[in-house]
Amino acid sequence: MKRPARWVAAALAAVLSCAPARKPAEEIVFWQFWPAEVVTPLLEEFEREHPGVKVRMEQLTWQSGQEKIVAAVAAGTVPDLCEIGSTWMPRLLAGGRLADWSAGVADLKPALRGWELCTVGDAIYGVPWVLGTRALFFNKTLFARARLDSTRPPETWVDLQRAAAAIQRLGHGVHGCGVQAGERYVLSKKFLPFAWGNGGEILSEDLKHAVFDSPANREALEFYLGLRRVGMIAQQDALDREFKEGRLGLAISGAWLFRQIAKEAPALRYGVALVPRPANERGAHASWAGGEVLVSFNDAKRKQLALELARFLVRPENALALAGAAKSVQPATVGADTSAYYRAHPLEAVFVRQFETARFTPNHPVWGDMEAAIEDEVEQALYDRKSAARAVEDAQARLEELAGKK
Amino acid sequence: MPRATSWAFLSPWVLAFGLFGLYPFAFSLFASFTDYSPVRAEGARFVGLANYARALHDPAFWSALGNTAFFVVGTIPLTTALALALALAVQPAFRGRSLFRTGFFLPSVVSVVVLSLVFKGLYAPNGSLNGLLAALHLPTPAWLLDPDTALPAIMAMDVWSASGYYMVIFLAGLEAIPRDLYDAARLEGATARDQLVHITLPLLRPTLLFVLVVNTIRSLQIFAEVFVMTRGGPLHRTTTVVYYLYEQAFYRFDLGYASALAYLLFVLTLALAWLQMRAVGRPAEASA
Repeated sequence: MKRPARWVAAALAAVLSCAPARKPAEEIVFWQFWPAEVVTPLLEEFEREHPGVKVRMEQLTWQSGQEKIVAAVAAGTVPDLCEIGSTWMPRLLAGGRLADWSAGVADLKPALRGWELCTVGDAIYGVPWVLGTRALFFNKTLFARARLDSTRPPETWVDLQRAAAAIQRLGHGVHGCGVQAGERYVLSKKFLPFAWGNGGEILSEDLKHAVFDSPANREALEFYLGLRRVGMIAQQDALDREFKEGRLGLAISGAWLFRQIAKEAPALRYGVALVPRPANERGAHASWAGGEVLVSFNDAKRKQLALELARFLVRPENALALAGAAKSVQPATVGADTSAYYRAHPLEAVFVRQFETARFTPNHPVWGDMEAAIEDEVEQALYDRKSAARAVEDAQARLEELAGKK
Repeated sequence: MPRATSWAFLSPWVLAFGLFGLYPFAFSLFASFTDYSPVRAEGARFVGLANYARALHDPAFWSALGNTAFFVVGTIPLTTALALALALAVQPAFRGRSLFRTGFFLPSVVSVVVLSLVFKGLYAPNGSLNGLLAALHLPTPAWLLDPDTALPAIMAMDVWSASGYYMVIFLAGLEAIPRDLYDAARLEGATARDQLVHITLPLLRPTLLFVLVVNTIRSLQIFAEVFVMTRGGPLHRTTTVVYYLYEQAFYRFDLGYASALAYLLFVLTLALAWLQMRAVGRPAEASA
C-alpha cells in the first residue's frame, strides 16, 4: 500500500469509529450495599429506559464498604452514584465533596421522607432511598403466660414496665425486657427514643449549643435504667437471639428481625408496636430513624446520569422492591404503608408508621463524636458508675464542647 | 548470576513491598504531621507535631495504651509458657503424636474473625461456658459485658489460639538441639530437670527470643478480636491502641491523628523489641 492510500484508510477508520451507531455505551459507576439479586433487576430496568447507558454496579460489604468509600474519596476515584448510610452523612456533608442536588431533586421533596439526612441549610446533597427505624417487638406467647393481653402491646412507659415485670417473674431464663448494653452506634438508638418521646432534645435548633441536660432527659434515663430490674442487659445480637428463642418478652429492635425470625424461628408468635410514649396524652411514640442516602460527588464524572439513576431508584415501586426483599429497611416514600405490600405485611407496616413520630439525628459535623459521648455517659449509668442525673449533666458538658467544633 | 537477573527475580516482591508496604508507611508518616481528612474538600495542612502532642494529652489514648499493655503483659508469659510446655509434651515420639500436634496448631489456621465469633457465642450470658459453670454451681459472670472480665476473656482466647503456633516454632527449635548433648548428660547422670535447665532452655534461647519478639509485636497490634467481640466496650475497657486509631481513622476520618498514633505505637514496638533483644538475645554460648 502506498503512503496516501494508508492515510485515507486511517482517516476512514477514524470516521467510522465515531459514527453514532458504533458509539460505545456510556458507563455509570454505582456503589451500593444490597445483594446483587435485588438490585440488578432494577438496574437492568434503568438500562432499558436509557439506551446507551450501562450501569456498573459494585456491591460493598457493611464491614468494609465504609473504608472503601473513604479511600475512594481520598484518592478522587469516586463512583458516580453512591449509597451512604446516615451514620456517615454528617461528616461527608461537612467535608464539602458531595454534589449539590438542590435543583435536581426539589420536585421530589413532598413525596419522600428523610431529607434531614442530606440537607444543610437550604442545600440538598442527596436523595433518601430507604429508611430504617426501631420499634417494639413483643412475644405473644410470653404475654399469655404472664396473663397479659397479647392483643394490647404496651402503649405507655408504665405499661412497658408492668408488662416486663410480669414476664420477668416467669423466671426459668425468661426475661421481661431487653436492655441494651454499651455498644457503639446501638445504645443511643435504644435510649434516645425515650428521651425524644419525653420531649428531650440533644442540640439547640441552630446546632450551636447542647440542650441535653433537661428534666425530660433525666427522667428518660431514669426510666431506661429502671428497665434493668425487669429485663436483661446484653448486646444487640444476644438480645435478638433471646427474643428469637422465645426467652425475651419485649425488645426494641430493628426490622432485620423479620427476616431472621422467618428463617430461624418461624413458629414464634410475636407482634410489633410503636415505641411506648411517657403516658397517655403525654409525649410521643418517638424512635430513632436513619437511612440510606444516594449521593454523587463533585469529582464524579457523570453527575447528571447519577441523578437520573437516583431518581429512578427512589420511585415508590423501586424503593419498595428493595425494601420488600431486604425487610430490614422501608421505602422513604411517604404513605408507603398503604401499598399492597404493607397491607399484606402488617407487622412490617408498623415500622413505616413509626417513621411518622421517629426522629433523625442532628447533622452536626461531629455528630459521631456526640453520639459516642452520649453512649459513654449512658453506659456509665448502666454500669452504676454514675447516677442518671450525673450522666446527663456530664453528657451535656461534653456535647457543649463538641458543638463548638467543626 | 548477573545482577539484572537477580533483580528480575526479586522484582515481584520488591514491587509489592514498595507499593503495599513502603508507600503506605511513608505516606502515613507524612500524614501524621498534617490534619489530613479524606472527606474534606480542602487539602491537608501541615501541623507539625500537633498530632503527637495531642496524643500525649489524650486520656482515651493513654487508656487504650494501658489496655494494650495489660493485654501484652497478661498474655505473653502465659502463651510462651504454654507453647513451650506443649512443645516439650509433643516432641517425644508416642502414638498419636501428630494428632496432638495438629490439634494444638489448628486454632492458628482458623481466621481470627471466625474464632472471635465462636468465642462471642461461648461467652454469651446464656452461652456454653456459663451453662457449664451453672451446672457446676459456679458463678456465671457476664464475660464480655462486664467491664472487669471483658479484656481477660479476650486474652484467654488469645492465649488458647496463639499457643499452638508458637508451639510449632519451639518444636523446630527443639529439633535443632543436637541429640548427643542429651546422651552425654544422661551418661553423666543428669536428671530430666537438669537436662531441661542446662541444655534445652539455654539452647532454645534464640527461639525464645523470636517467639517473644514476634508475639509482642502481634499483641501490640491486637484489633480483630476487639472489633468482632466488643467494639472496644464495655466502658472502653477493651479499647486497644489499634482499635482506637482505627476509630479515629475510619469513624472520625481523622487520618492525620490516626497516623500519629500508629507511629507512636511503632516507636513503642521498636523500643520493646530492642529491649527484648538486649535482655534475652545474648548468644547461647555466653550463658552455657
